[in-house]
Amino acid sequence: MVGWLRHQKHALGSALRRLRAQPVTTLLTALAMGVAISLPSGLYLGLVNLSRLAGDLPAQPEISVFLDARVAAAQQSAIATRLKQPDIAAARFVSRDEALSDLIAAQDLGDVTTGLASNPLPDAWVVRPRDTTREAMMRIATELSALPGVAETHLDSQWADRLQAALALGRAGVALLAALFAIALVAISGNAIRALVLARRDEIQVSRLIGATDRYIRRPFLYLGALQGLLGGLAAGTVLAGAGLWLRTPVEHLSGLYGSSFHLLPPSATEIAVVLGLTTLFGWLGAWLSVTRSLRQVEAAP
Amino acid sequence: MINFSQVTKRYPGGHEALSGVNFTVEQGELVFLTGHSGAGKSTLLKLIAAIERPTSGVVSVSGQNVGRLPRRAIPYLRRNIGLVFQDHKLLFDRNVIENVLLPLDIAGLERREALKRARAVIDKVGLLAREKANPVSLSGGEQQRLCIARALVGRPALLLADEPTGNLDAGYAADIMSMFRDFHQVGTTLLIATHDDRAITALGGRMLRLDHGRVAETTSW
Repeated sequence: MVGWLRHQKHALGSALRRLRAQPVTTLLTALAMGVAISLPSGLYLGLVNLSRLAGDLPAQPEISVFLDARVAAAQQSAIATRLKQPDIAAARFVSRDEALSDLIAAQDLGDVTTGLASNPLPDAWVVRPRDTTREAMMRIATELSALPGVAETHLDSQWADRLQAALALGRAGVALLAALFAIALVAISGNAIRALVLARRDEIQVSRLIGATDRYIRRPFLYLGALQGLLGGLAAGTVLAGAGLWLRTPVEHLSGLYGSSFHLLPPSATEIAVVLGLTTLFGWLGAWLSVTRSLRQVEAAP
Repeated sequence: MINFSQVTKRYPGGHEALSGVNFTVEQGELVFLTGHSGAGKSTLLKLIAAIERPTSGVVSVSGQNVGRLPRRAIPYLRRNIGLVFQDHKLLFDRNVIENVLLPLDIAGLERREALKRARAVIDKVGLLAREKANPVSLSGGEQQRLCIARALVGRPALLLADEPTGNLDAGYAADIMSMFRDFHQVGTTLLIATHDDRAITALGGRMLRLDHGRVAETTSW
């Protein structure tokens, strides 16, 4: 165990010395990796922020039940009774006056509504069914539409469903893109390590002649690949932080125009740790593939 | 310690470097391999260090059939063999002591102990004052002594030297051979491939003369 730790320490030290010895190459490789990582990571962050925006919208699908303008009190009572049945999770009555004041507040339509002779909005119920499957929602909406005194019903979740579907598609796209860029990362790391292995051909041959195992020879290159991956992850973080700063003001301005206080959130500590861990892993993997292949080519020569 | 039994080595292309070679080297023996260029001396040393594998026959080192050794076991065999090359095979991006430390790093020796051993062996070959020097600044004789130090630092039971004085003038060659005699006197088994007849007669031991891949003569002093 002590010997194993000694080998690890030696290999890590050797990898750090090699990184320091070639600062320009190290920087360029890290930048190439950083750009490759920042694209899927940036898209992922964009989706996370969009999801957050979508999360502010009604999370539960609802049915709006608009009442007839001349609905009778008995009909009102019958509708209220129906809405107390077990298939309804919650129902909230929204009077026409309340609806109008909400509309004025949300859309800043004060100037328009002052010109109206009367309130054109109907009384309504906002209903949240217990079963929110599309079929159940449709069945309840049809049933409520048939009640006397109900003018119209409206399923409010359609556009939210569509947004969620679009986000799901976006997430699948990011996963696909991330997989492609992970391959690119492995290739960049592998190529950089391959060049190093070939440059140290003599050292490898001599080491083999005096008893070095392939594992011993491979180890510093693996550390090097992992460190390059880590640096690439940090470079991607820098790129994304810069992009976040760049976009913050225009995004806040746009959301302000819609009366929202929405702002871009940076990645969480867990997300940063996952990205750095993955880039380190892919750097290591690229190095492993490359050095294993290259070692087969660099035979021990007498 | 070393046993060759009907060993033949044929390279791709058909050249037969060794043909049915038989000999034994006992532990602690000093043996010189002589013969013209292309007689098979280097091939014979490569077979012992498992750098090459025999086409047929058995090469045995300390009871291990080296020709059949799995690839992953070869490094451990080599850690018990000191190799001295005519072209030294030094690493020129490392200084003298770092070159000597390499086998100890590979063996995973603790740093302080490794430095102690490396300095002791560098002192033995007379390079202690130059331990921080780059090998490129050393003379041919000093480079060869450095190569010997690297071969000996792991305290191998067997030292193989391929033309260790081939590129050196007479003075340096005598120094190197005298160093080998010292190592032999403390019990190291030495197998030295050389053209240097003066060294052979001065040091004594046994001589195996190879001729076209066969053992042509065995002489002892």
